Amino acid sequence: MESLELLGQGFATAFTPLNLSFIFLGVLIGQIVGALPGIGPAAGMALLLPLTFGLPPVTAIMMLAGIMYGGQYGGTLTSVLVNVPGESASVMTAVDGYQIARQGRAGAALSIAAIGSFLAGVAAVVSVVFVTPPLSEFALQFNAPEYFLLAALGITATASLGGSSAVKALLAAVLGLFISLVGTDPAAGIPRLTFGQVKLLEGIDFLPVAIGIFGIAEVLASLERAHDLQPIRTRLRDMWLTAQEWAESRMAIVRGGLVGFFVGIMPGAGPTIASMMAYVTEKRFSRRPERFGKGAIDGVAACESANNAASHAACIPMLALGIPGSASTAVLLAALILHGIRPGPMLMTEQASLVWGLIASMFVGNIMLLVINLPLAPMFASLLRVPYVYLAPGILVISLTGAYASTLDFATVWICLVFGVLGWFMIKLDVPRAPLVLALVLAPLLEVSLRQSLLLSYGSLGIFIERPLSAILLCLVVVSLVLPVIGEIRRRVRLSQTRTT
Amino acid sequence: MRIGDYAPAVFILALSALVLVGVWDLAYWSGTAPGPAFLPYWLVAVGLVLSIFGIAEARSSRENGPLWPNRPALVRVVATFAGLITIPTLSPVLGMVPVVMLFITFLLVAVLRRPLLPSILTVAVTGGAIYTIFVWWLGVALPAGPLGF
Repeated sequence: MESLELLGQGFATAFTPLNLSFIFLGVLIGQIVGALPGIGPAAGMALLLPLTFGLPPVTAIMMLAGIMYGGQYGGTLTSVLVNVPGESASVMTAVDGYQIARQGRAGAALSIAAIGSFLAGVAAVVSVVFVTPPLSEFALQFNAPEYFLLAALGITATASLGGSSAVKALLAAVLGLFISLVGTDPAAGIPRLTFGQVKLLEGIDFLPVAIGIFGIAEVLASLERAHDLQPIRTRLRDMWLTAQEWAESRMAIVRGGLVGFFVGIMPGAGPTIASMMAYVTEKRFSRRPERFGKGAIDGVAACESANNAASHAACIPMLALGIPGSASTAVLLAALILHGIRPGPMLMTEQASLVWGLIASMFVGNIMLLVINLPLAPMFASLLRVPYVYLAPGILVISLTGAYASTLDFATVWICLVFGVLGWFMIKLDVPRAPLVLALVLAPLLEVSLRQSLLLSYGSLGIFIERPLSAILLCLVVVSLVLPVIGEIRRRVRLSQTRTT
Repeated sequence: MRIGDYAPAVFILALSALVLVGVWDLAYWSGTAPGPAFLPYWLVAVGLVLSIFGIAEARSSRENGPLWPNRPALVRVVATFAGLITIPTLSPVLGMVPVVMLFITFLLVAVLRRPLLPSILTVAVTGGAIYTIFVWWLGVALPAGPLGF
């Protein structure tokens, strides 16, 4: 009941004219960045983070969160109408969504995606309301060893569940940790890896790294493709679903939402894995699995419900523990820090107005997105006809100006450019970028809690298995490292069996 | 041998060596607590092990390797990046807003070969947006040039 009272206060915070305007702006920007191929929600959030410095923290966080879940809605447009996923979590939507659009039912695919996203998103936010407070209270029992292992789990799980090569993902995480070492040592206060450069004494900020790795890199990669998009046209009257389409999709929304919620809550998994798992699950449950890949509307419903549910569920570890579950929540966590708010289990009590305002804003934002995506979907679809090349320069210069504005130092702009090139190479070499960003965000917690643990135990590693909670977390870290090895062995066995037959 | 497959592992290997050199003079352990070099040493060790795994993975990989852009696409990327470098280089002299507008003109007209009129419109809208957001709204003192902005 206390949660509901606090949620009521959260609604009072969200319903101020300023906050409502910025929630709307956030979901609108999220819708647009989600629809733009190459720019995902994490990139959009990183690029616009400097623009929030003039806002009250609660308004800024509401707007950035709006970009995060708005991106899940927007990604559907390009997937269905152009067969080019607007962001990675919409890859599976394109498989069936585009086939449905070619059959003349693009409106139905967009409708079911919006309805599924809305229902699963709202259900996930309801779960956030009831799961986050007890988890946060439970986390108050955590000591330095648990925090070290939790941060380590956040990094290793991202690598393990990332989908790409686990070795490459872990290499990216190590790079993120190396970057975090630069600056002044947090305990001894002496320069470390600064190589005599005074500007490096304060370390390398998260913001220019995120702007470079996500924003600049993605725009550079998208400029390789010079052709303009040719979306399939859709009209308002095409948005109505038939009774059969609704009957086929309703249970897919439930299953997709559940899969998305549980995957989203796991550190490192995120909306992309959620939508893939939901698609596979739905195909297994379907009475006619042969339709999948040829225009199954339940496939679209499951994927879109899952990615939006996951996007909201990822906020649970971020709000309760201060551990981001995805690249987007890593940016959101960094935004909290940049606005002077300390994340962690005390956040729920110390910043109750912000947390509950944020949760309430998610309900409001999802309603706004439903309106944007049902009657206004054809209008947004027409935006896809604006050639991307006219938007790309604007994205680049606003992000660089934002980076400069954050420190009033061109060194920050240079850091953006260096990481922009690095990010472009990572895209080309198929090295995931999320582990780098997550490692960079989690590194201070990881190092400080590791050193505190070893100080408490006089250097004994036994402290990590003494308490049941830390022992369980250690097991999870080991499992997250062993899982990809088992997966790789199984893949090679299958490959060799295929060759012999 | 595909260089691209080996690049991530070799890069981390080189970076591990650099980190090792950088923290060589720092204490691994100080008194009863880990010193400033404690985590770096362990990360270097992890980096070395992962680099070896990465090289082994690249050697046994049967996939097609990185998909590099063709020549025109690569020219677009390199020219865009070269243009971006002019922003921190020339802004202190010419002012940030004029340099940004010059960059967009260069990118749209010279690199992406777009028609002049929509390009000029894009330059005007973006330049105006940057001035409105950063100077007028956020009150950021962007470097001004001879034109006064």
